Amino acid sequence: MTLQKLGLKGRLQISGLLIIAGLLVELVTLKWSHPTAFLFFLLLGGSLMGAGILFYLYSLLTAGQTVLPGDQK
Amino acid sequence: MIGPTTILIAVIVISMALIAFLVIRPSVTGTRGGKILAFISLFIFPILAGSMGAAEHVEHSKTTEFCLSCHVMTDYGQSLRVGDKGSIPAVHFQNHLVPPDQACYTCHTDYAMYGDVRAKLRGLRHVYVQYAGKVPETVKLYTPYNNRECLHCHLGAKSFEEGVVHNQDPETLPKIKSNQLSCTTSGCHEVVHNVKSLREATRLKEVAK
Repeated sequence: MTLQKLGLKGRLQISGLLIIAGLLVELVTLKWSHPTAFLFFLLLGGSLMGAGILFYLYSLLTAGQTVLPGDQK
Repeated sequence: MIGPTTILIAVIVISMALIAFLVIRPSVTGTRGGKILAFISLFIFPILAGSMGAAEHVEHSKTTEFCLSCHVMTDYGQSLRVGDKGSIPAVHFQNHLVPPDQACYTCHTDYAMYGDVRAKLRGLRHVYVQYAGKVPETVKLYTPYNNRECLHCHLGAKSFEEGVVHNQDPETLPKIKSNQLSCTTSGCHEVVHNVKSLREATRLKEVAK
């Protein structure tokens, strides 16, 4: 399935899931008192959240370019 | 009282709840209110949670528990609890002359303009060495211990300014204040993290068992 075929709602769901995963990593690392926790937070949590946010912004920017049946519901 | 960690957890939980709602019901983004909700949930809240999380991690990295969580620091942690009245770290830690929950950070961050940033960058390097490099058997300071770190608290204190030994020679105090005469290596307050003898004592105890 290509990104174009996903539709805006599908893309929002993907960004949402990525951000939730990043937030979960953040939540776990907050309770872990070890330097590795900071690395996990930064590299894993930060990447997931960053990817989710960027994908959401990308979806907004490209939303007007293609109107798909899934978006008209 | 509600602490910053509680607020951060609340922000994370609220973000997750809002995003989960959007993931389950993406059709709400069809309305103007839904679009605003999506923007707040997928942009504002995650950035807020991420920034607060980073600040919390930086704050947490100042704790004694955090510093001593690495195996290489175990002996240094023990040296804070020895009964030697001549041991500078032990006396400061046990008598709460430094905040016990931030004991390492209080003495080992340099009180210069970018001291905090430098300490954090060094911390990242330590993590790198831990996983990708070779941890040295004896931990050494990057630079000789600067009196500035001691004077951050002791400067102006009666015990320091009017101390008998400090005033025996009129040149002593100015030399200490200008870091020409080291507090720790000049033979006055030289017992600092005596890890070697601590290890030896532990070894002898084990042999005696």
